[in-house]
Amino acid sequence: MVRRAGGPPRRILYGVIELRRLTKRYGNTLAVDGLSFTVEPGHVTGFLGPNGAGKSTTMRLILGLDAPTSGDALVNGRRYTSLSEPMRQAGALLDAGAVHGGRSAYNHLLSLALTNGLGTIRVAEVLELVGLTDVARKRVSGFSLGMKQRLGIAAALLGDPGVLMFDEPVNGLDPDGVRWIRGLMRSLAAEGRTILLSSHLMSEMALTAERLVIIGRGKLIAEATVAELTTRYPSLEDAYLALTADSMRYEASR
Amino acid sequence: MKAVLSSGGLKRYVISDHHRSRDRQPARSTRTLFRTRETDTCMSVLASEWLKVRSIRSTYLIIGLSLGAILLGLALATTATGMYDSAPPERRPHARIADLEEVLVIVPQLCVGILGALAITSEYVTGLIRTTLTLVPRRWPVLAAKATIVGILGLLVGLATVFGTYAVSRGVIGDRFSGAYSTAFLDKLPLLTALSFTVPVFALLGLGLGALLRSTAGAIAILAGLVYVIPMIIGNIPEPWSERLGSLMIGGLPRQIAGHSNASSVYGSLLQPAAAAAVLAAYALLPLLAGLWLLRRRDV
Repeated sequence: MVRRAGGPPRRILYGVIELRRLTKRYGNTLAVDGLSFTVEPGHVTGFLGPNGAGKSTTMRLILGLDAPTSGDALVNGRRYTSLSEPMRQAGALLDAGAVHGGRSAYNHLLSLALTNGLGTIRVAEVLELVGLTDVARKRVSGFSLGMKQRLGIAAALLGDPGVLMFDEPVNGLDPDGVRWIRGLMRSLAAEGRTILLSSHLMSEMALTAERLVIIGRGKLIAEATVAELTTRYPSLEDAYLALTADSMRYEASR
Repeated sequence: MKAVLSSGGLKRYVISDHHRSRDRQPARSTRTLFRTRETDTCMSVLASEWLKVRSIRSTYLIIGLSLGAILLGLALATTATGMYDSAPPERRPHARIADLEEVLVIVPQLCVGILGALAITSEYVTGLIRTTLTLVPRRWPVLAAKATIVGILGLLVGLATVFGTYAVSRGVIGDRFSGAYSTAFLDKLPLLTALSFTVPVFALLGLGLGALLRSTAGAIAILAGLVYVIPMIIGNIPEPWSERLGSLMIGGLPRQIAGHSNASSVYGSLLQPAAAAAVLAAYALLPLLAGLWLLRRRDV
């Protein structure tokens, strides 16, 4: 529909997310405190931390929704806000409930696609990919949480981006859906994409992620491969609990 | 080296480096190309926002309710005509009727004001605004597109209801009421046009308030206050302030724009037509610009 001249859409499949001393302060609270790490292509990077550790804030900072107090968050070497058609470089699912219930799944996705010059064909493709084709014309208010998660994933995939971020995508999914997401994440990573997947479900991470970034109280606690952690600790869960013990105590004492 | 790193020079280096490495990025120096890309973004966002507006039911409900003002005008004109005809002939010359299109313009004003507010507050309520601003990180094209759409819809609804109500009333009333509705249409045209333009002003005002407050209830409360509450208060404060402030109320602007007096209402008549038009435009633009300023700065 709205497509400008100038050849096929640009596609950068090999993306990268770089945080450099990223800091966000809300009043007296340091939500993100000098966070530096890099998320690289080709595997799923799990983003872990107790509730309130700053995972969602970090994702919002990467996407330019919140402005960092200091430091930088770069997507493919640039600030996200300076990208002209960001959908083609990065996609995100922050909150599956963030849809207008009165709109159909198809119109919801098409309205998102149009902003970046994408059209109906791509919408049909992602609907097919997440298995919502049959309910595409139904109003989203009737969707279960699992269907909304699928819709959110479809939205993130619209621009076929090299960088993908998912905030707790398996919440509210039935076992079938959990397995589907696991497979999808791994196949997206295998295509060479960069995937940042936040969760507090350790078992899920053990099955999906290859590398882990663990934060607590907005600070980086550990950056390691799942294999490294499981050799140093009896299990991934033990590793996580040992590493985040300090920030947990802090939360309890507040 | 350290100085470059800490001064933010690094960022610029990274950006320009990527410009070079991507052939499809137009160089910053070629201003026309840059502008074309801006235009592309705006047209894409406009297409998206237009789809958003027409893919939910409340839009149709609100436009339907606005157009209901014409039916209301028909009902009022018919009732008035019946009363006039059943009155004794000697009392008929004293019968008066209000300008129905002027009374009833409140209906599309409020409806379209709510449409404007919902255009942005519904995104804040659901959280969709985060997705929207992620896809359009520069943010201003989103509010500009919403303003264009609710503004044009508001103007169309305003013209339809004001001229529709006038036509229906004129048709039913004929030369009754001392010829209130049988003046030349061309003499009425400036006032009807000015009245019509208050409707898109309410659409933009609603949108601006919605962007500022991020709350549907807050925006609607202020809209209703501007139409009902504040004029009543101003009508009851001492002169000369009643006249001065009354001249600035939205309801009093159409007559001042058309060069008529507001003598029989709570509104004042101090403004020249051009000044009144500027005040009307300010109602639309000031909240919108303030909302834009905040939208670009605020964390979402």
